[in-house]
Amino acid sequence: MSKNISAPLVRTARLLDLVPYLNTHQGIALKDLASHFEVTNQQMVADLTTLWMCGLPGYTPLELMDLEFESGFVTISNAPTLSKPRSITFKEGVALLLGLDLVASSLPQERTDLMDSIDSLRDRLSTVLGTPIKLSAVSVAPGTITTLIAKMIESKGGLEIEYHSLYRDVVTERTIKPLEVYEAEGHQYLRAFCFFANDYREFRVDRIKQANPTTISADLVNRKNDSGKIAFSIMIKDLSRDVAERFAISGMSIGSSVSLSSYSRQWIERSVMASGATLELIAPAEIRAELAKRARMMLERYKGL
Amino acid sequence: MSRKIERLINLTIALLATKRYLTKSEIFRTVEGYEGSPETKERMFERDKDDLRTLGILIDVGSFDPLFGDEAGYRIKSEKYQLNLGEITPTEISLMSLAAQAWQGAALDDVAQSAVLKLSSTGIPADPIDIPGFSPKLSNSTTDLEKISEVIGRSDFLIFNYLAPDLSIQKRMIIPFALSNRSGYWYLSGVDQDIQEIRTFRLDRVSGDFSTQENSEIFEIPEGFENGKPITSTPLGLAVMDVRKGKGDALRNLAISTTDLGEWDQIKVPIYNIDSLGSQVLWHGIDVYVHEPIQLRDYIVEQLEQLVSNHE
Repeated sequence: MSKNISAPLVRTARLLDLVPYLNTHQGIALKDLASHFEVTNQQMVADLTTLWMCGLPGYTPLELMDLEFESGFVTISNAPTLSKPRSITFKEGVALLLGLDLVASSLPQERTDLMDSIDSLRDRLSTVLGTPIKLSAVSVAPGTITTLIAKMIESKGGLEIEYHSLYRDVVTERTIKPLEVYEAEGHQYLRAFCFFANDYREFRVDRIKQANPTTISADLVNRKNDSGKIAFSIMIKDLSRDVAERFAISGMSIGSSVSLSSYSRQWIERSVMASGATLELIAPAEIRAELAKRARMMLERYKGL
Repeated sequence: MSRKIERLINLTIALLATKRYLTKSEIFRTVEGYEGSPETKERMFERDKDDLRTLGILIDVGSFDPLFGDEAGYRIKSEKYQLNLGEITPTEISLMSLAAQAWQGAALDDVAQSAVLKLSSTGIPADPIDIPGFSPKLSNSTTDLEKISEVIGRSDFLIFNYLAPDLSIQKRMIIPFALSNRSGYWYLSGVDQDIQEIRTFRLDRVSGDFSTQENSEIFEIPEGFENGKPITSTPLGLAVMDVRKGKGDALRNLAISTTDLGEWDQIKVPIYNIDSLGSQVLWHGIDVYVHEPIQLRDYIVEQLEQLVSNHE
């Protein structure tokens, strides 16, 4: 249940949902019931005891629900009014529709059978919601690649990938051993050992253009790698949302300087270039000089010099 | 507290079981738990109605029975109370579970789980879907989706502060009607009340809290809106630029045509915003050169002049 609903209401909802669940799961063990509803055994007994007191007006044994749970197994009868599961709420419908859209966008293309089921569910759920609403969610990476990555992590296999690195702006072919998939700043990343760089690398999953399983041969020898984090600092010349988002700076002001670091020199250079007049790279001096040179070169070309 | 819970359940059962509308006095007389002075009962009942509404249980108000004259009657229609998705197959149960799992750790996780709980009560077994390693996940850049979904459900006004490109904060008031998740970001579309046009907002650019205001007018989604697509359907024009072979992939992805020039390719890219396209061109440095239009060239030249004077 939602966080913004008070505890008694959460309990009321649980009691209402208990009845139909028990109806289709007669004789369920108390502890299984408690774990299904994510409460303690003690809480479940309290819930059942409360439910026991409820029924149709009149409230004689004829109208009350019959619950049996002292043996440790729960059965219910005489509860026809609440026997059907409750309808899904608007919010629940929204959650399911967005989730289904995501599932649809991640399905392997050949599973048209599942696509048809999703379409039918979407229609029925939309009808239940009643209010016009448009919802869409797309997987951040093609379904087949995410599926393959997950498979290779499980089987500890290798992958040959074609990767588009936006920082260096080249498409490279690499042999990697996928380790884990994680999410950061709204993107899915794959942490892997890269035999091309001979080091651990992180790849944005949506930038993997091709992926094929491969066996990792033993003769991929260790090459030295000395890439470290580069510290740099920038001075804010003008307020820009793009800059704030690009460098993940919160609360910036004109004239202030910000110290940052990155693993990629290219990323620093390109990010400063793309920020144009809005900031100045203070340090390191070497990158600053290189930037100035490159900007002048480009400017001269535009001016036809 | 458990007395209140009992009363809410008994009220639900009574209103569901009745074939006709029950008047307030009938409810007070027959449903267990309404005690105290008439005012107290009255207050209890009002609160109980609100509570049930919060739980998504809709109470119908009417007085169709001529015997009751003008006195309002109450009932819960079972077709509105009960899950009504027609015949559900085991595969569909699995698909909806996957849909709910996509929310794991994200904004609507709890809501999605409560939907799954209801589905499990149908007693229909899930038919596991055999796709190895298949578990799509929704990204979580906002915790306000629950509130936003509610506002969409009621077609109310949503008011929030939005970070403009120059980092200034603008107050926006919209009637939201669409949510989408693209490249890991959540987008909300709605009719901006100041300009009466559709606008799309990235939710992580909203600063501070959302507030809401009731809308009593009937709202309809404007025609021709396609969710997940840029709203500005007509570009400002086309940019012509040279891109070095093997470089500028991000710009190439936007191109509508490519001409091979040997060491370079010439591409045509639709312009939606001079500044953001200019910034993208600058990102690619010496590997991209813009021929047209003059406005885009002017923007780039101006930025380069500043870059040179800032860094030399």
